Amino acid sequence: MSENQNEKLYPESLMSFWMKSATDFWKSTSRIWPDATEPFQSEGLKKQFQKLESAPKMWQSFISAFSAPESMNALFKGMDILPEVVLQTLQSGWGGYSDLQKKWLEKASRMGKQSEAYKFEDIDKDLFKAWAEVYEKEFSQFLNVPQIGLTRFYQERTGQTLDRLNLFEIALSEFVNLLYLPVEKSTKAMSEKLEEVTKKGELSENFEEYYREWIKILEGHYMVLFKSTEYIQVLNNVLDAGQNYFSARNHLIEDILQFFPVATNKDMDELYKEIYLLKKEVKKLSKKVAGLK
Amino acid sequence: MSEPKIPVDLIMKKLTEDSEEVLKTAQKASDVLLGPLDTAISTTPCDIVYEEDRIKVKHYKPKTGAKLKTPLLLVYALINRETMLDLQPGRSTIQNFLDEGVEVYMIDWGYPTRKDRYLTIDDHVNGYINNVVDFIRKRHSIPKINLMGICMGGTFSVMYTALHPEKIKNLITTVTPTNFDTDQGLLHIWMKTIDVDRMIDTLGNVPADMMNLGFLILNPARLMIDKYVGFLKNIGDKTFVENFIRMEKWIFDSPDVPGETFRQFINDLYKKNLLIQNKMELGGRRVDLKKITVPLLNFYGRYDHLVPPEACEHLTEAVGSRDTEDVCLDTGHIGIYVSSRVQKEFAPRIARWLKERDKPEKESPGRKKPVASRTAAKTKATISSPKKGKKKSST
Repeated sequence: MSENQNEKLYPESLMSFWMKSATDFWKSTSRIWPDATEPFQSEGLKKQFQKLESAPKMWQSFISAFSAPESMNALFKGMDILPEVVLQTLQSGWGGYSDLQKKWLEKASRMGKQSEAYKFEDIDKDLFKAWAEVYEKEFSQFLNVPQIGLTRFYQERTGQTLDRLNLFEIALSEFVNLLYLPVEKSTKAMSEKLEEVTKKGELSENFEEYYREWIKILEGHYMVLFKSTEYIQVLNNVLDAGQNYFSARNHLIEDILQFFPVATNKDMDELYKEIYLLKKEVKKLSKKVAGLK
Repeated sequence: MSEPKIPVDLIMKKLTEDSEEVLKTAQKASDVLLGPLDTAISTTPCDIVYEEDRIKVKHYKPKTGAKLKTPLLLVYALINRETMLDLQPGRSTIQNFLDEGVEVYMIDWGYPTRKDRYLTIDDHVNGYINNVVDFIRKRHSIPKINLMGICMGGTFSVMYTALHPEKIKNLITTVTPTNFDTDQGLLHIWMKTIDVDRMIDTLGNVPADMMNLGFLILNPARLMIDKYVGFLKNIGDKTFVENFIRMEKWIFDSPDVPGETFRQFINDLYKKNLLIQNKMELGGRRVDLKKITVPLLNFYGRYDHLVPPEACEHLTEAVGSRDTEDVCLDTGHIGIYVSSRVQKEFAPRIARWLKERDKPEKESPGRKKPVASRTAAKTKATISSPKKGKKKSST
């Protein structure tokens, strides 16, 4: 057995390898939507996507630092002195991740085979559910460890923001995956049709005809998807997760801004509300006065 | 089952054959895109005659003088911009009204900022719209004006007319949702389930890009793929490119939507469907559609995927007016205002309808006196006369 092969069996190498592959997976998943729609994006939308992209980048830097050999060595050396219960927690987490990897591989091997035209009830929800469960059970708790001391609130908000960002990314990935399904289904339906006409020797030279048909099938698939309860559920999940993240991020930004001589959104909102109510009252009184003249 | 195969060899052959054509198109495209393009929108001359906070009122005068005694106020939605009604010469609802001798005022809602997040529907209807209506009445020394609402602006116009019937002579609603208890459109399905309270508490206003993305996702095949394939296909055609860019400018020129207004619109209308049941309340007053006794002309699009016919066609039955007409056009949500075919009929038909109902009001608003009470009595008399009954038509 070579040295390299040996290394792969050590938990730190396995963990490091898993982290890198998981990061690569999420990085590429998060790029699907911006890449696919790039030619059609307005400046505003591009900025939003750039903001979204910064999240996986942050995650990537975090993971890269964490999975560097020296960090991993330090982590696993440190583990020797951790209480057994912590080790057990990590082991169960590792088990969860292995399970998830297995499901990803299964999903990858089924790609293009499981789609049935105009049906979305059999969507492979388990994949994202599994990832969400693993994250919530094995990872999220570390970001929500009760904080102590003078800076406890700041630490707590930082942890919560990271936690909600991760949950938002999971929900967003599921949503993007769902939006991609009709493309997969309609392309498959179209390729079957092309194969059929080719066999019969009836392939038209006018490919626009086939494009028109593909668009029609794609539109039909989207309409079916958008009316499905599965889609509505996933849409609401991503909106909820997004709102949770933005809310946590806003609190964090407010914490940071309070050290600078600038007003926060909270300060401004309070002021805006007062101005709104005062203006309303002034307009009402002005009308009354005008009526008296 | 064998894996389906795409005949790549044939596709490649076709691509090679087409390559010369592609080169020609690319050359033309470069000439068009790098050359001068006229993509200006909203070019019909107008004056800004009223301003309040972020809103402005545009005034358009017919060149040959107004043929109607009563001016028309257009109320657009808070989503996207009113420039759609004056997209380009030859495709301008405003210009068509002017050609028919209709004097037009139009509200430009502007771009709400975070300070506008607390504005409610009441502030828009009983505040801004009411102030603009009073301004026009005073400017023309008339007790009533004609009111036309577009989409959400139509819903606001319906609420306004129900609450201030003494100030409106005729009401025109176009692609106006008033019945939200329908599953015909995707918006009606999705909006029933979203947690709008959390959304507004978190975001303040609804960001324009979020709205844009939401509308694109209503039909990604057409709006995110096919539309741009069509653009590439016609990229060498200067006129096509100019029109396409104009439309793109309009579509993505979206203001944010004031948070509290959006919250109320979703909760009271999409979720509870209060308006059509006469249960909606604005500023402590109930909006009773039976109080709309003025003539009502109600347009909607047969293929409208945003505001389907089912959302529009119940209004004429719900109001108290005896002079109502439904007009179902063979087009979609935007087609009513920008389709060349529909344009030939749309504004002239409204102008004809208004001319038939343009009898002068005898009284004008005094400065001191409760205009409302004096004109209200007159409204009843005016209403009883036409007795045209409910009509339905489609084109």
